[in-house]
Amino acid sequence: MQTVKQNKGRWTLRQVIFLAIIAIFFGIIYEVWSFAYYALAATPLKAVANDATLGVWLMAGPVAGVLLKRAGATTLGELLAATVEMLLFSSWGVSTLISGFIQGFASELGFAFTGYKNWRRLGLTLSVITSTIITFAYDLFASGYSQYSLSLLATLLIVRFLSIAFFAGILVYWIELLVEKSGLLK
Amino acid sequence: MNLKINPTVLLVTILSLGILLTFTRSVWLNLAMIIGASLYLVFNRPAFKKILLIGLFVLPLAFGTWWSFIVYGTGDTWHNAWIFSTRIYAYVWLGIALTFTNSVDELLFSLVQNIRLSATFAYGILAAFNLLNKIRRQVKIIRYAGQVRGITYHFWQPQLYFKAIIVALTWSGDLAEAMTSHGFSEGFSRSHYQTIPLPLWQWLIPIGVLALSLSFLVICQPW
Amino acid sequence: MTAITVSNLSFRYQNSGPNIIENINFTPEPASFNLLAGSSGSGKSTLLKIMAGLYPQFGGTITAGQVLLNGQEIGPIVPFERAQRIALLFQNPDRQFAMRTAWEQLIFSLENLQLSPELITQRATDALQKFDLWELRNQSLQTLSGGEQQRVALANILALDSDIILLDEPFANVDPTGRQTILSQLKLLQIEHGKTIIISDHDLHDYIDLADAVFTLEQQHLTRQPLGILTDLPSDTLIWHAQNKLPESGQLAWHNLTIEVGSRRLLNQQSWQLPENQLGLLSGPNGIGKSTFFKALAHLQPYQGQITFAEQVSEKIKLKNWTSKVAWVMQNARDQFITLTVSDELAISSRHSANPAYWTTTVIEQAIQDLNLTAVLEQSVYQLSGGQQKKLQTLSMLIMAPQVLLIDEPLAGLDYQSSQVLLSLIQRVVHDLNLSALMISHQRTGLQPYLDYELRLDHEQIVDLRGLSHES
Repeated sequence: MQTVKQNKGRWTLRQVIFLAIIAIFFGIIYEVWSFAYYALAATPLKAVANDATLGVWLMAGPVAGVLLKRAGATTLGELLAATVEMLLFSSWGVSTLISGFIQGFASELGFAFTGYKNWRRLGLTLSVITSTIITFAYDLFASGYSQYSLSLLATLLIVRFLSIAFFAGILVYWIELLVEKSGLLK
Repeated sequence: MNLKINPTVLLVTILSLGILLTFTRSVWLNLAMIIGASLYLVFNRPAFKKILLIGLFVLPLAFGTWWSFIVYGTGDTWHNAWIFSTRIYAYVWLGIALTFTNSVDELLFSLVQNIRLSATFAYGILAAFNLLNKIRRQVKIIRYAGQVRGITYHFWQPQLYFKAIIVALTWSGDLAEAMTSHGFSEGFSRSHYQTIPLPLWQWLIPIGVLALSLSFLVICQPW
Repeated sequence: MTAITVSNLSFRYQNSGPNIIENINFTPEPASFNLLAGSSGSGKSTLLKIMAGLYPQFGGTITAGQVLLNGQEIGPIVPFERAQRIALLFQNPDRQFAMRTAWEQLIFSLENLQLSPELITQRATDALQKFDLWELRNQSLQTLSGGEQQRVALANILALDSDIILLDEPFANVDPTGRQTILSQLKLLQIEHGKTIIISDHDLHDYIDLADAVFTLEQQHLTRQPLGILTDLPSDTLIWHAQNKLPESGQLAWHNLTIEVGSRRLLNQQSWQLPENQLGLLSGPNGIGKSTFFKALAHLQPYQGQITFAEQVSEKIKLKNWTSKVAWVMQNARDQFITLTVSDELAISSRHSANPAYWTTTVIEQAIQDLNLTAVLEQSVYQLSGGQQKKLQTLSMLIMAPQVLLIDEPLAGLDYQSSQVLLSLIQRVVHDLNLSALMISHQRTGLQPYLDYELRLDHEQIVDLRGLSHES
C-alpha cells in the first residue's frame, strides 16, 4: 500500500476547514450588527460609516494569521471571509472578492515585515499600519475618495486608522490571548 | 435559451471587469456592465424577484454614496456622484451574474478541474459551507450561554469570537477526520464523476469583453 | 482478507500527560462481530481512531507499540488505500459528511478512491438501495434524523467496500427502531459480505445474538469478557407509586405544545406543569427529541402552542429575562462555559446568582470541595476531563439558581461515586431553593433515591409514570 509523504509546507485539510468555518462564523456575527452600518450608509455620512466599520471586516485576516502563525494565513483568511460574504449576502458583489484580497494582503504585509516572527504587539501594530495605508490608497480609486475634499479625507483616514487599530489590532490581540490561555491551540 | 459560460471563465471575466471598473471613471461604462450582466442573467435564470430584492437592498448604499459626493465632493461633483453610485450597482450586478447562475459546488469543482485549484481547498470550503445552518444555530447557542449567566456579548468584545474559534477547532477536526476516513487523501489525485467542460474558445470571452470595454473607453471617452 | 493487529499499544494526548490507553493487544478475528464496552471517557473512541489510522495524525502520540494493517504500520498509509480496508463511523452523525446530500457524499468518497464514473454510479446506487436510502438520496443530510444519518454513513462505508468497519458509539442520537435496523444491517454485512465489525457501545442490550466477542476497556486496559455478560443485564427500571404523587404546583407550564423539526413531529402534548421543589427525570429513547424539548422550553427552538411562566405567556417575555427564569444546562458542557478558568466560571455565577443569600462563599467552597474541584480551580476549563467539565457546568448553573433548571445529561463521563455526589447536590439545592428541575440522563443506575418523579417522552407524548402500572 502507498504511504503519504511528509509535507510540512502544505495547507492541511483541517486548517482549510478551520479557516472557512471561522470565516462563516465571522460573516454571521457581522450580519447581526450590520444594520447599524446600513442605517448610516444611506446618508452623506456613508464614507464615514464605511471607514468606521472597516476594521470589523478586516478582522478575519489577522485572526487567521495569529492563530496559525504562518505565511499566507492572513491573506487566505481574509480572502475566504470575503468569498463567504459574497456567497452569503451577495449585496457587496464582486468588489468584495477584490477588496478582500487587497485587505488580506495589506494586513499580511505587516507580519511579513517582522519576518513572520512576531504575531503579537509588534506584528499587529505593523499590520494595522500597512492595512490602513493600502486599503485607503485602494479606496482613493475604487470608491472615489480622491474626489473628496481634503478635510473629509483627513477625517476618513483617522477614522479608518482608529477602526482598524481597534478591531483588527487590539480586539484580535485580546482574542489571541484568550485562545492562548485556553491551552487549546498547541 | 441557455448561454452557460464555464464558471471559472465567468469568474475571471467578472474579476477583470471589476478591476477595470476600479481604475476607470465612467457612468456609461458602469451602465454597460449592469446591462451586460442583466442580459446574461435573463438568458440563464430569470429569478426576477431575487434580483429585484437585491436591487432594492443596494439602493440606500448607492444613494448614500451619491449624496456624500454632492455634499463633500470636489471638482465635478455631479459627475462623481453618478459615477460612484452606479459603480456600486455595477459591482453587485457583476457579482450576481456569477452567484445567481452557479452554485458554490459548481464554481469550486470547475476551479479544481479547469485551473487546478487544490482539492483540499475546494472540499475544505465546501465541507464548511455545508455546516452553514449548524453554524447559525451555534451562534445562537453561544449568545444563549452568555445570557443564561447574565452576560450580553457585544461585537467589540473578544468572547464571542473566542467561542466561535473554539467551536471551529472542534468541528474542523471532526470533519477532517471523517473525510480522511472516507479516503480523502491530501495531495493525491481523485477521479471526477462529472467533467466540467471548458472549450478553449471560451477564454476569448474575458479577453473580448475586456478589449471591447477598453476600446469603448478610449474611442468614445464616455461620460 | 484484511487483518488488523494492535500490539502493546499505549497512547496519550498531551506530551507530558498520562497514557489514556495502555499496553493494548487486540487482533479481531476476520469476519467477526466485536463489541467494545466501557463507560464514557474510558478511551474507546481513542482506540478506534488509532485503529482507523486517524491518530496520531489528528492528535496525540503513540508512546509504545503499533497498529498493523496487513502487516504494514497503519498511520503512514495513504487514506484512500486505508479506506478500502478499514473505515470508521463516527459518534456525531452530523459532523461526518463533507457534502450536502447522501448521493453527493457517496460520490465524493468514491472519487477519493479514483474510481471511474460508471463504477461510482453502480456502487453508490447499490449501497443506497441496500439500506433503503434511495428515496432520501437528494435530501439535505442535515435534515435527516440521527438514525437516517448513521445509515447513510454506513452505506458510505459499504460503497467504499471497507473490509473492517469500526463504529464509535453510533447510537448516541439514534432512536431504538433506527438502532435495531442498523444492528441487523451490520450483522448482514458480517454474514453476507464477510465484514469484520468492531462497535463500541455503552448500552449492552440487544447484542446477545449478534456479538462473537465482547471486550471491555476500563482503567486503560482492554480485557476480553465472556459472552455471558450480555445476558442478565441489571434492570434499570425505576419504581413509581401513585402515592409518590404529591399535591403540586409550579410556575412553568405548557399547553398543546407541538414541536416539529423538518418534517418530523417530535412532540404533541396536552397541558402540564413542572412541579416545584422536585427533581424529575425526563426519560425516553435516544433521538426521540428530549433535548429538542428542552431547547423549546428555553426558547432556542421553534414550537407551536403555548409555554407560560407564572401564567404569563412566554413569547411576551424577552429572551434575556426568560433565561433568568428557565435555564437550559446544555449537553455539551464546553458550550456553556463563558470564561477561561474554573474559579472565574464560578465567580461569574456567584456575581449574577438569583439567590446570593443562599450561595455564600462558604457554601460554594463546600460544594467545590465535595465535587473534588479544588485542585483544578486555576486551570483552563477546556483542559478539564469530560467529567470535571460536567461537574463545573452543573455547579455554576445551580449557583445561578433560576426558578426552572433543565439539565441535559449531567452525569456523562462521571464515575458512580462522583455522580452520587453531584445528584445529592442537585437534590439539595432544588429542595432548599424550591426550584423545579428536570433532567435527562441515559445513566439510570443509582438515580432512584434522588428523584421525585419520571416523565417519559415517546410517540410524541410525555407521560408521568407515577401511578402507572409498570410493566418493566
